[in-house]
Amino acid sequence: MSAERTWRKIRLLCFEAMMLILTLIVIIPLLVMVFGSFKNAQEASLFNLKPPTKWLFSNYAYVFVHGKLGRALINSFIVAFGSVGISIVASAPCSYILARRHTRFTTSIYNLFLIGLFAPIAIVPTVFLLKYMGILGDYWGLILVFSAVRMSFCVFLFSGFIKSVPREIDEAAYIDGARPTRVFISIIAPLLKPVMVTNLAITTMSVWNDYMLPMYLLSSPSKWTMPLTIYSFFGQYFRDWNLVFADLTITALPMIILYLFAQKYIVAGMTVGAVKA
Amino acid sequence: MQGGNSKPRLNIERHLFPYYLIMPALLLYALFFILPIMSSFLLSCTDWNVYRKAINFNGLSNFLVIFKNDQFQKAIANTGKYAVVTTVFKLGLGLLLALALNRQLLTKSLIRTIFYMPAVISYVVLGLVFSSILKMDGLLNHFIHSIGFASVELDWLGNKFTALYCVMALDIWKWSGLCMAIFLAGLQSIPSDYYEASRIDGAGVGQQFRNITLPMLTPVLGINFILSFIGGITSFDSVYILTNNGPGFASIVMSTLVFTYYTKGYYGVASAMNLMLFIIVAFISIFIAAYFRRKEVEL
Repeated sequence: MSAERTWRKIRLLCFEAMMLILTLIVIIPLLVMVFGSFKNAQEASLFNLKPPTKWLFSNYAYVFVHGKLGRALINSFIVAFGSVGISIVASAPCSYILARRHTRFTTSIYNLFLIGLFAPIAIVPTVFLLKYMGILGDYWGLILVFSAVRMSFCVFLFSGFIKSVPREIDEAAYIDGARPTRVFISIIAPLLKPVMVTNLAITTMSVWNDYMLPMYLLSSPSKWTMPLTIYSFFGQYFRDWNLVFADLTITALPMIILYLFAQKYIVAGMTVGAVKA
Repeated sequence: MQGGNSKPRLNIERHLFPYYLIMPALLLYALFFILPIMSSFLLSCTDWNVYRKAINFNGLSNFLVIFKNDQFQKAIANTGKYAVVTTVFKLGLGLLLALALNRQLLTKSLIRTIFYMPAVISYVVLGLVFSSILKMDGLLNHFIHSIGFASVELDWLGNKFTALYCVMALDIWKWSGLCMAIFLAGLQSIPSDYYEASRIDGAGVGQQFRNITLPMLTPVLGINFILSFIGGITSFDSVYILTNNGPGFASIVMSTLVFTYYTKGYYGVASAMNLMLFIIVAFISIFIAAYFRRKEVEL
């Protein structure tokens, strides 16, 4: 009996070792990037998996100056903060009403929001809408479109969560004399903290990483976000892969850090939303 | 909220949950997401392009033009292939990984963290890293060379037979971890007594998988399916970064075709193509949602 148990344990350990080896499929391309970013141009152009013979941190300083990364980082932060702020502040109270009230109106509004979970954006009319409003090429135009695009997902997650909060809480607060907005801000909003972190992290990532919308909606390079800036940098420096890799590492790093910190919330949010639907 | 005593509660409801709290989100969403979709129905029926001042309605002639267009046919075929192949692999690999991680492993959370990682990194970053790996003198060809198959070395992204599959590979590599995480959540929500009861009844591992695991995973499978399939149909970044539709138009897909016509200044035609994409997505999501809902009812 105990021999069999030991045998089973060994088999499980072997299985685990195999899974760890399998993670190399994910790790190797990332390692190519990180190692490459510290090499000199010649070494990087060999495209091998060897660690750099000399670790050149100066590559990072170079791309910051010549790749205009400082500006791009600021732009990305502006766009991400704006879009995330607006979509969360607007979607939370909206989801509260949609989750609590069941009228024909709220049901159709909820369904309207569901369309946005899947439907592709109609990009050409969007461009001309922004042009007509005079905010094409501006941070605001991009921020408003991003907020609208991400709104569906935020509403979906928030309202799913609010449904699990007992409504007796808000009724009690209301009977005690609190105004509806007050009930929402001081009773419901604090309860939403975990799902708010989820929405925050997922929205930040999708805005930060997106290439298509900024490409359509931002024209001047001084307003470009990280993905646009590094792609254009690649166009100029395609022979200096070490610099390109350094550029890529800087773009990926903030989201990897955010992911490692908010991992619990991100995975829970993606999956709870999925399982509940 | 039904029944005889509904009157007083409904009154509370109206005061407690006022519609004006919906409005900021609704207005923003309606103006910047729904309105463009609605107006694309109109724009698609115009001859609007950058070269002319006046915009005229020309009925459905844009659609006649695009259906006869070689690039459009290529894009439709590629998009379909892309969506099907990536979905099959993402779901298959995601499920296998989830089943593997649903065991008592010591480093389970580390492995999960690593597999999920590509999902949080931009396509621009991953696309450029992959293009360095897939170059003629890149890591993949080095590897192929070192294991003795020098004759299979290829310019993977420059070859019209392999380019689209390379893009698909990137997509599968990026999103299988997300599929895994969703499947894993589904697996963990299956009560373990189901397995114990069936074991007592003498069910084998295969039978358990067929009769407990798969049926219980149906809703999660549905969500994964919709996410992957629609992600595949609407993909833009991966193709644009990795191959930019090339070589020639070998790897063009719907979204990148829209962009091509937009940059050429054919706004009416670009809208019509975008609208086709929207209609296809709408059809598929309704169809898939209905299919998986029926399956759930059957169970």
